[in-house]
Amino acid sequence: MVSRASDDAADAARPPAPAEGEAAVELIGIGKRFGSVVANDGVDLVLRRGTVHAVMGENGAGKSTLMSMLFGLLEPDSGEIRVEGRPVRFAGPLDAIAAGLGMVHQHFRLFDTMSVADNVVYGAEPRRRGLFGKAFVDRRAADARVRELAARYGLDTDPAAVVGSLSAGARQRVEILKALHRDARILILDEPTAVLTPSEVDSLFAVIRRAADAGTTVVLVTHKIHEVLAVSDEVTVLRDGRVTGRFATRDASAAELVRAMTGRAIAEVKNPGTGTPGETVLEVEGLSVSDGRRTVVSDVSLSVRRGEIVGIAGVSGNGQHELVAAVLGTLGVAAGRVRLAGADVTGASVRDRRARGLAVIPEDRRGEGSAVTMTVAENAALGHHRSAPIGASTGIRRGWMSLKAERSQARELIADYDVRTSGEQQLIGSLSGGNAQKVVVARELAHQAPLLIAEQPTQGVDVGAIGAIHGRLLDYRAAGNGILLVSHEISELLALADRVLVMYGGAIVASFTAAEATTERIGAAMAGAAAADPTEASDAAPDPAAPDLTAPDPTAPRSTAPHPTAPHDGDRA
Amino acid sequence: MTAPPETTSAAPAKASSRGRRLATAALRHPAVVPIGAVVLALLIGAVIILAAGLDPITAYTAVIQNSLDPGQLDYTFSVWAFICGMALAAAIPLRMGEFNLGGNGQLVLGGLTATVIASSLPLPSIVLIPLAVIGAAIVAGAFGAISAPLATRFGIPIIISTLLLSPVAVAVVSYLVRFPLGEAGSAVAQTTRLPEGARMWALGDLSYSNAGLIIIVLLMVVFWVVDSRTAVGFELRVVGANRRFGAYGGVRVGRLALGAMAAAGAAAGVVGAVIVMSSPFRLIDGALISPGYTFAGLAAALLAGGRPALIPVTAILFTILQVGGAGMERSADVPRQLSDVLQGVVIVVLALRTVLDQRRTERSSA
Repeated sequence: MVSRASDDAADAARPPAPAEGEAAVELIGIGKRFGSVVANDGVDLVLRRGTVHAVMGENGAGKSTLMSMLFGLLEPDSGEIRVEGRPVRFAGPLDAIAAGLGMVHQHFRLFDTMSVADNVVYGAEPRRRGLFGKAFVDRRAADARVRELAARYGLDTDPAAVVGSLSAGARQRVEILKALHRDARILILDEPTAVLTPSEVDSLFAVIRRAADAGTTVVLVTHKIHEVLAVSDEVTVLRDGRVTGRFATRDASAAELVRAMTGRAIAEVKNPGTGTPGETVLEVEGLSVSDGRRTVVSDVSLSVRRGEIVGIAGVSGNGQHELVAAVLGTLGVAAGRVRLAGADVTGASVRDRRARGLAVIPEDRRGEGSAVTMTVAENAALGHHRSAPIGASTGIRRGWMSLKAERSQARELIADYDVRTSGEQQLIGSLSGGNAQKVVVARELAHQAPLLIAEQPTQGVDVGAIGAIHGRLLDYRAAGNGILLVSHEISELLALADRVLVMYGGAIVASFTAAEATTERIGAAMAGAAAADPTEASDAAPDPAAPDLTAPDPTAPRSTAPHPTAPHDGDRA
Repeated sequence: MTAPPETTSAAPAKASSRGRRLATAALRHPAVVPIGAVVLALLIGAVIILAAGLDPITAYTAVIQNSLDPGQLDYTFSVWAFICGMALAAAIPLRMGEFNLGGNGQLVLGGLTATVIASSLPLPSIVLIPLAVIGAAIVAGAFGAISAPLATRFGIPIIISTLLLSPVAVAVVSYLVRFPLGEAGSAVAQTTRLPEGARMWALGDLSYSNAGLIIIVLLMVVFWVVDSRTAVGFELRVVGANRRFGAYGGVRVGRLALGAMAAAGAAAGVVGAVIVMSSPFRLIDGALISPGYTFAGLAAALLAGGRPALIPVTAILFTILQVGGAGMERSADVPRQLSDVLQGVVIVVLALRTVLDQRRTERSSA
C-alpha cells in the first residue's frame, strides 16, 4: 500500500509499513467534506487481522467521520475501502455488518425494557419451527448463544437480565455481544471507556485482547493516551482530517502521541494549591432528590468557598448530575437546603439563583448547554441577554437587545477562546464538540459568578482544548471564585481540585484533601468503597497525561513549573 | 442485507457522488420543504380536478384571476389581513414550540366582547372603537392564557387544551347570539347592527378594507420587532429551539408560555373585533368561523415556520386560495372545498417534515 499522507510530522514518526497480506481492512485515500469543512483528507489506514488498532486524535480531527464511513453511515467523497481484500461500497450499516464489521457506539443503542438475550439477537434472531413456520424467536437458542459468546470472549453477562437495570459497563458488553453475534470479524469501539469505572476499563481491555487473540480485528477510537498504550498494537493518529502519525505501540511514547495529536507538546496544568479559601459561596445541607421512583441523591451535604475548587468524583449515574440540577434549580428537592452566598434558594427559580451568582457548565452540551439550531452568537448570549452590553437591566433599553453587541461579544469570545468557526453566525450544532464546549465555557465564565459548577467540562474535548479549559478554570479560582467540579476523570480532579468528594449511589462516600487524593483511593471509592478491591484499583491507575513533558505550552494561560506540586507559585496574582 | 456491490472505477463514482452532494445540498435548503409542500398540494389538487372530469388549468387560472382581480383587491386585502391576524395567533406560541389550535374560540370571544362593548356603551367613536378592540384583546387573551397554567401546573399539553377549550367558547357565544343577545324577531341568529359610532373607520370609499386591517398589520410589525429585537423574543426562540437549554439559562418557561398564549389570544380577539365592526356590523352566529381564517392562518404560520417576516408572504398564498376558491367555483365549476383540501395537504406535508427532522436529528446526535 502506498502511503499518501503528506504531513511532514507524519514522515518523521512513520514506522515501517505493516506487513502485506494480513490486512483485514484497507482504507485508501479516503476523503470527506462537509460543506467547506474538510473532515478527512487522503486518509490511509490498514487494519491487520487479529490486532488492536487505535485511531486517535483530538475532537474534530476526523476519527468519527472516518469510522462512520467504514461502518457505512457516511459515504466517502473519494478513496476506496477494502474489506479482506475486496473493494466495498456500503449503502448503509447493514451492508457493513454483512461484510463482517461491527460497531459499538459511544451512546448505546439498546432496548432498555428487553432482556440481554433479546437485545443481542435482535435483527438476526434464531428461529424456531412451529405452528406458523419459523415465525417465533427461539429464546432458548438465543440464551444459549449469548452464554456461548460470553464464555468464549470472557464477557460476564446474564442473558435474562433486563438491559435497563444494567450498569454502563454491562450494557457495553451487550453491545459487544451484539456485534459478535453477527459474526463481526472487525469490531469498532467508539470511545468505549467514557462511561466505565477503572475496573470496568480493565475488564474491557481484557475482552479486547481476547477477541484480538481469537483473530478479531479491533479498532479502538479514543483520545486517551494511556488506553492506547495499554491495549493497542498499532496506532494511527489523525489531526485536521489527515494522518499525522503511525506507530507500533511498543515503539511509541506518550510524548510522541501527544505531539502527533496536537502538533505540540502540552504541559499539564496543575492547581498550585496556593491561597486561602474565602467566604462560603455554596452550602448544601442534607440534600435529597428523588426521581419519582427512587432516591437518586441522598442526604448530601457539602460547601464550596471562594478561591477553592471542590471536586466531585464518581462514575456517571451516581447522583452527581441530579445534585447539580438541584443546585441549579431545574430539579426539585425532596429534602434539604441549598444556600448560595448565604441566601436560602431551595425554592427559588433558576433565574433568581443565577442572579445571585451561579454559573453552570452542564454535562449535556447538546441537550442542555446549547441550542444546536441557533447560531454561536445566540448561544453565547443566553443569560447575558438582559444585561449590558447586549441587553439592559434598567432604564429605557430594559428588555431590548442589541444585535450588534450580541455579535461583537461573540466575535470577542471566538477570538479569546480560539473557537474554530466560520463566524459568529454559524450554527453551534455544526461545530466540533470541543469548539462548541469552548463557547459554553466562555459563556458561563463570562458571568464572573462567585460559584461556578463545571460538570464534565472536558468530556469529549480534545487534549489541546482540555489544557485551555483547565487553565481557564484555575484562573477563575485564582480570581477568587469557587468552583464545584464534577468529573469522572480522576486525573482531571487530581490536577484541579483542592478537595475531592466521591459520590456513589447518590451519597458522598469519601472525602480527600488534595494531598490525600490519589488515583487508587478515588478509584476505590468510586467503585463503592466497601466493594473496592485495592489491587484492582491500583491496576487502573496509569497517569493518563504524559508525565515527562516539560515544554511550555504557548496557549495554556497557566503553564506550571516542572515541579507542579511546588507550594509557591510566583505567577499567581 | 445484500452483499456490498463492487466498485467499478473511481471516476464515475466520484462524479455521481458530487452530483448527489449537490442534490443533497439543494434538498437541505430551508425553502425546499415549504415550496415543495405547496407544489405537491397543487399537483394533488390537479389530480382531484382531473378525476372530477374538469380542467385543472382553467380552475387554477380562475383562482388567480379572481383573487387578483383589481375590482376585488379591496376584499382580497381584507381576507389577507384576517389570515395574517390568525397566523399571528398561531405563530407566537409556535415560536416557542407550542401549538395554538384554539383560534376559533379566541376569535369568537373577541367578536362577542367587541359587540357587547360597542353596542352598550354610549361613547364617542374615538374612544369606543379602541375600547372595543382592547376589550376584545383582553378577553380573548385571557381565554388563550388559560392553557398556559394548564400546561405548567397540570401537564395538559397546550395543543390539547386549546383544541378542546375552543368549541366550548364557540358554543357559549353561539348560545348568547341566539338567545340573550339575539336580535328580536330576526330569523337569523345575530345581534342587532352596531350603532354608527361603533363602526370601524373606513379607508376612503373602500367597502371591505378599514382601519381595523391597519391595526392587524401593525400587530404583525410589533411581533416582528419583539421577535428579533427584545429579550422576550430571544427567549421565545431559545425555548422553541431547545426547551431544556432555555430552562437551564434561566428563562421562566411557564411565564413565557403564559405571555405567548395571552398575546396569541389577544391577536385572535382583535381579528374578531375588527370583523364584527366591519360590514355588516354585527355578530352573526358562525360568521367568524365559517370563512376558515383560523386554519388558513395556522397553515400560513406553519408554512412560515413562525418567522414573522415570512408570514405576510405565506398568508398571500392562502388568501389566493381562499378568495380564488369562490371564483373557481363560479367559472370552472370546481367546488370551493378544494381550497380546503389544498390547505390540508400543505399542513400534512409540513407535519411530515417535522417528524422527519426529528428522526434526522435523533440519528445525527446519537
